[in-house]
Amino acid sequence: MEFKHKKLANGLNIIAEVNKNAQSAAVGFFVRTGARDETDEISGVSHFLEHMLFKGTDKISAHNVNSSFDDLGAQYNAHTTEENTVFYSATLPEQLDKAVKLWCQLMRPALRDDDFNMEKNVILEEIAMYKDLPQFDVMESCRALHFGSHPCGKSVLGTVESIKALTSKQMKEYFESRYAPNNITAVIAGNFDFEKICDCIENLCGSWIPKQAERKIEYFAGTAKKEHQNKKNLNCQHICLASPAVSYQDKRVYAAMLLSKIIGDDTGSRFFWELVDTAIAETASMHCEAMDGVGAFYSYIRADSQNASKVMQIVKKIFKSLQKEKISADELRKARNKVLSAITLKNEIPMGRLLELGVNCVYLGQYRPIEDEIQRVKNVTQADIQDLIEQFPPANFTQFSIGPEK
Amino acid sequence: MISVAKTRKFLYSLQTFFMLEKTDIHKLASGMTIIGVPVAGVQSAAFEFLVPAGAAMTPDGCCGAPAVIEDWIFRGAGGKNSRELSDMLDGLGLHRGSGVESKHITLSAALQAENLSNAIELYADIILKPALESQQFEYSRQLAMQGLLSLEDDPRHKTRNLLREHFYPDPLGRNTAGKQQELQNLTAGKTRQIISENFNISQTILAVAGKYDFQKLCAMLEKLFAAEKPKKAKDITAKKQPPGYYHYQHEGAQVHIGIITASVTPCDNDYYNARVAVAILSGGMSSRLFTEVREKRGLCYAVGASYHSLKEMAGIGCYAGTTPDKAQETYDVIIAEFKRLSDGITESELQRAKIGLQSALIMQSESTIARAGAAAMDYYMLTKVRSLEEIKQNIEKTSVQSVIGFLKNNPFEKFCSVTIGPMEIKPV
Repeated sequence: MEFKHKKLANGLNIIAEVNKNAQSAAVGFFVRTGARDETDEISGVSHFLEHMLFKGTDKISAHNVNSSFDDLGAQYNAHTTEENTVFYSATLPEQLDKAVKLWCQLMRPALRDDDFNMEKNVILEEIAMYKDLPQFDVMESCRALHFGSHPCGKSVLGTVESIKALTSKQMKEYFESRYAPNNITAVIAGNFDFEKICDCIENLCGSWIPKQAERKIEYFAGTAKKEHQNKKNLNCQHICLASPAVSYQDKRVYAAMLLSKIIGDDTGSRFFWELVDTAIAETASMHCEAMDGVGAFYSYIRADSQNASKVMQIVKKIFKSLQKEKISADELRKARNKVLSAITLKNEIPMGRLLELGVNCVYLGQYRPIEDEIQRVKNVTQADIQDLIEQFPPANFTQFSIGPEK
Repeated sequence: MISVAKTRKFLYSLQTFFMLEKTDIHKLASGMTIIGVPVAGVQSAAFEFLVPAGAAMTPDGCCGAPAVIEDWIFRGAGGKNSRELSDMLDGLGLHRGSGVESKHITLSAALQAENLSNAIELYADIILKPALESQQFEYSRQLAMQGLLSLEDDPRHKTRNLLREHFYPDPLGRNTAGKQQELQNLTAGKTRQIISENFNISQTILAVAGKYDFQKLCAMLEKLFAAEKPKKAKDITAKKQPPGYYHYQHEGAQVHIGIITASVTPCDNDYYNARVAVAILSGGMSSRLFTEVREKRGLCYAVGASYHSLKEMAGIGCYAGTTPDKAQETYDVIIAEFKRLSDGITESELQRAKIGLQSALIMQSESTIARAGAAAMDYYMLTKVRSLEEIKQNIEKTSVQSVIGFLKNNPFEKFCSVTIGPMEIKPV
């Protein structure tokens, strides 16, 4: 693995990891913008804009965008979160330069009114689709409740009302303010020639004009509010809990990752033995979402609604016991092995490596080789995890649940 | 538009990659089949067992038993209790997966290569010597019942299950999650009997992919499974059912539409023509369904067709989710696109489909988990493992004429449709 880096004069960052043994090559454009960078008036614009990039430029029609990627045999997509919009593709190595050229052009979209109006229907369908996925619905509501008026509580999809009211002019203004080259990182992973790809990006993106794209960073520990909603079409109780955690920039992030495995991995965790093994809940999991300057642990539990109060009693007992019944060496060892295995599997594929490289660069401004990441996981001690529990007690949680009408 | 010459050059460049692989197949004395798929440059290994104990293999009145078994066998095995076994598996950093299919229970895992032998030993215990304690059975049964309940909250997933149930002859399309009443009545004794009948080692397939030593692996497996005697495969009789339309009322935000039509199985000479036809219909984002349903009309966010096959029968299925006022139009446009395919396809559509299929093949081959799963399924379907080179050549051999010939001989005429949502549609 060989790390490469270049920063263009306009601030666009290009980072790459070359692996000559890889069978494919992946490229991604990470734009540091998402729901937290929106005002209420334009809620959902980052995600809608992500869709609009696939509608082409002044020179490329929407159908040509799709057929060009398909001609390359590319696996391509994009996603939007609270703080990033990421466009990515994987191709065979010999097709990479064409994929990169295409992405560079798409990053300056036409944003045509006709396309905007048609795609609005698709976005409204996407919002409806997620309404029929209670697991997603409850997470989204819990996030909003936990973060309250903090920007990280904003919805990525927006609402039916905000999307219907959004104009293409508002989208264009948002684009101008957020898609500045100094707010974008191009990431490449796999088997390719770095100089050639860099030249291509510089030729096509070097003339973009930099602009300040600010983001308000503020830590917030959450509201710790509790809410429940009955829904007539549901059969199970869906419970989401959110509690404060470290930010991505915090060096305790690896301890947080291991702690969430110890408490809420699919198998062998405290949730597993107390809730799933005993068939009180069908599923119970926890993960840490470390973000820009802020973070949260999220738990998701699904159970027969008759078991709902029992589930919460047990969860509270588990969270309280973390301070008394300290994390054992064996629990840490198992969690560490699972995380290390996951790192190995993810990084064997260029697409998996791409996301890791991009996130490290966007949040930390640095390159972390796989060996370094492995070492950081290995370095976490029981004391580190115990300190983390003291400073970020999972018992201080926000709770949102949805379930059937009684 | 992509030129044919460019495509040939592109496809030729895949040659080197496809030539490198070599798959090993070995039969143990017990009759179990072991497949090895080496993957260069990786530090992981993945494996998948196909145990012939799937939903269709279960006696009548026990629908859902495999979903219970899939959980129960992990609750202690080989003299280790549930917790000890789980701790040992977790200690190996194993990424576990298991599932129930029509004919099989699949048990898969991926891990760092140096832990492979230890993991296989534990899985041999799970398959051969599960503890099967009665108290643990009760937990597994309750979990399966909750699983069934949670499916009710996931209309998209439920559409897929119902579509297979209505399309495939019974019991081949049986709901893998089970039926509430039958799960309610299931006992530990009956389930033990099902395990003893269906965990037929001579019909079990194990595929390993990634970094491993095949000879050592086979020697170890020979010892682990030595006590098992070859047994005959179980026969099942399937009852055909006519395709129809089935609606399930659900007060959700969308109407979830599932459509399936019969196709050829992987054994058929037309198999690759069918795969290319599906790719033209729904391969990439320039494919017909995505273009006509989403891009031109904005009817859906999620729309796509895919090929699905059992050994006996196959289908080309399609899913779309849309709000009630657009449901009928979405259904009509999808059916029209299925039917329009046999009117003709262009050379550029064909080339794009070929490139998409071959490129996906290589990219999937980078994942040890995907390789192990594909090899095991190939062997079950075809009694051999197709090399990537063979698949590539067969895709290359398809032409506009061969795909159209296939579509004329196997016209998309009869559709089985399922909708879940607040309103019905009028089917063709």
